[in-house]
Amino acid sequence: MKKECIAMLLAGGQGSRLYVLTGEMAKPAVPFGGKYRIIDFPLSNCINSGIDTVGVLTQYRPMELNSYIGSGQPWDLDGIDGGVQILPPYMGSSGGTWYKGTANAIYQNIGYMDQYDPEYVVILSGDHIYKMDYSDMIRRHKKAGAVCTISVMEVPWDEASRFGIMAVDGNDMITEFAEKPKEPKSNLASMGIYVFSWQALRKYLTEDEADPNSENDFGKNIIPNMLKDGQPMAAYRFAGYWKDVGTLDSLWDANMDMLGAGSDLDLRDEEWPIYARSVDAPPIFLGRDCKVNNSAINRGCEIHGNVESSVLSPNVKVANGASISHSVLLPGVVVEAGAVIEYAILGENCHIGKDCHVGGAPADGKKKELAVLAPDCKLEDGRTVAPGVMLDYKGQEVAKK
Amino acid sequence: MNRLHGIIFSYVMRNDLRELTELRSPASVPFGGRYRTVDFALSNLTNAGVTDVGLVLHGRYQSMLDHVGSGKVWDLSRKRGGLRILPPFNYQKDWGVMPFRGKMEALAGVKTYLDEIRQDYVVMMDGDLIANIPLQDVLNQHIESKADITVVCANDSYKTADGTYYEKDAQGRITEVLFHLNQPRGYRGLEIFILSTDLLRKLVAECEAQDQYSFRRSVLLNKRDELNLQMYVWGGFAAQMRSVQEYYDRSMQLLNPEIRAELFPAERPIRAKGADKSSTYISESGSCLNSLVAEGCWIEGTVVDSILFPGVTVAKGAVVRNSILFKGVNVAENATLAHVIADKDVEVQNGRTLMGHYTYPIVLAKNSVI
Repeated sequence: MKKECIAMLLAGGQGSRLYVLTGEMAKPAVPFGGKYRIIDFPLSNCINSGIDTVGVLTQYRPMELNSYIGSGQPWDLDGIDGGVQILPPYMGSSGGTWYKGTANAIYQNIGYMDQYDPEYVVILSGDHIYKMDYSDMIRRHKKAGAVCTISVMEVPWDEASRFGIMAVDGNDMITEFAEKPKEPKSNLASMGIYVFSWQALRKYLTEDEADPNSENDFGKNIIPNMLKDGQPMAAYRFAGYWKDVGTLDSLWDANMDMLGAGSDLDLRDEEWPIYARSVDAPPIFLGRDCKVNNSAINRGCEIHGNVESSVLSPNVKVANGASISHSVLLPGVVVEAGAVIEYAILGENCHIGKDCHVGGAPADGKKKELAVLAPDCKLEDGRTVAPGVMLDYKGQEVAKK
Repeated sequence: MNRLHGIIFSYVMRNDLRELTELRSPASVPFGGRYRTVDFALSNLTNAGVTDVGLVLHGRYQSMLDHVGSGKVWDLSRKRGGLRILPPFNYQKDWGVMPFRGKMEALAGVKTYLDEIRQDYVVMMDGDLIANIPLQDVLNQHIESKADITVVCANDSYKTADGTYYEKDAQGRITEVLFHLNQPRGYRGLEIFILSTDLLRKLVAECEAQDQYSFRRSVLLNKRDELNLQMYVWGGFAAQMRSVQEYYDRSMQLLNPEIRAELFPAERPIRAKGADKSSTYISESGSCLNSLVAEGCWIEGTVVDSILFPGVTVAKGAVVRNSILFKGVNVAENATLAHVIADKDVEVQNGRTLMGHYTYPIVLAKNSVI
């Protein structure tokens, strides 16, 4: 069945800078914003943009992600034609390999894409929090007569050297691309979202695969090669909330951005819903003595203590006299009486014993140091976990490399 | 294959739910912050492994159809069996026009469906019962006691309008079936019955031939000596809501943690259609105490002793006490509500004050603007 446009979602990354949070699961499966997982954002953007065929390329620890995606029904991606398809690396008659790079992952699935004979392919990654209408980007791609369109956003000049930076002409056509340049010529950063004309991409992927010196990467190989050949490449300017949540700090920041009416990340917008596979649990119960302010809470939570400027995922229990502030609690965390949690991320099903003290507020003018607990970590009563310390599931300290 | 088949009655029955059932049947009345009453019957069935369920509808059932959809939420969207929606399809009599007078008449209206039931036993239940009952245990007792019909009853002091009450002997056999009593006595019937599929077919045919419509009168009462009627006594929470007062009182009991534990045990989850809403947010000015709150609410005012369904907004300075606010209710700044049940999408504008009482909660009809 022919599709004008399909999407390929790169979800194989380990997310090593999320450390213990991705010990057992791929980064796109990490819970976000109380009721979501990171991958809900690109999947929901796809269906809201009218893209109903999405290949999800998995490699690292895919079980959690696979079972989360399931049939694709929560995102309406379980249609008769297309829908969501998990694409792991596979063996062929002449052997097989792991996905060597982002371009190689797509190359290995040329067969999947050819089935739909698409005009355009959208390449997405599974580690960004944003709402974007890809159909608008495709319109830009068609109008510019481009073979490749890259979504870009303006970043502060002093941060530009951390991104892939584009230089553009008066028509916003890309003239130069530099990956993390020391002296950036512009402040237009790539958001890692690409639209390609499929036949052109297919040719470049095949050539890239034949090049033994290539790293098989979109940013390092495919895009520079297209630019070198003088292919028309357009920039698509995006204004709105976008955040790469590849680090513990940025994951925490994005969760905090969601709080309050003033944030750019509006998840209440009914015109652009973010769908999620939700857990079945009774409504939130807020006890008679609780004190909750500036916080997001979800189903199945029982709150008897104090919660301030925090994000609580489903089924979190906070006992009387416990106190949580500036923290992100993933599903199923239990905090016993008298415990204090500050500036922390607590993994799924962590159990915090009575009178524990996890993390701490930064001193005036100092940078915050998040305390982070791996999923299933159980802290015995009275334990102190200093700011910036990370514990594995056994409660032993691990270093952030 | 599971041996039990489920039939849920969700036609409009006599009740005093006033505005709450103006646009819906009693079985699709919102309850407990995120449920419809029928979610309990459906979840009780699926938690007992039941895979085939018939839902008997009659009148005001659009809200029910919207809610149950394909039955996917309860794992009842299946290739074989699954959820069968049963509006009246035999118009020879007046079934399309007049409400059913009783269960036997309703079943006579879906006789071809009864003939196709694959399971040996049928559990019949009303769609407006709020309880979490292990129906597998009821079936086991039914088989062990060699009963013809097992009737599930509550052993508590609640009285419900138009309820049926039962008395039993020491062996558990039902000796008396009581209704229309001024002073109810005995065990309160929960309108859950298990019987064999063959017996059900026989009884439906018999009643139809004699133009009898009532299960409790023509079968339970008249045949109590002829048939072995056994009682299963359920000790947990079980609410039948036939009036606004009952609805209000029983809803407010959910603020008690012991009642919630009885109704929502982890091993028998109550499943409900999810609303795709974001997290609930409580702002710095907001306060929410002793309340049950669904997702997608936005609380900047004060909420105490209340139940909030998805997407409720309580603005700054507003105070909500002892109230039940359905999906999408908007309480504007400085408004005050006490002992109010606000139906879907009600808007309470700036500074308005509405006060009911424990003994007379005010009901605001769907979409009304105050």
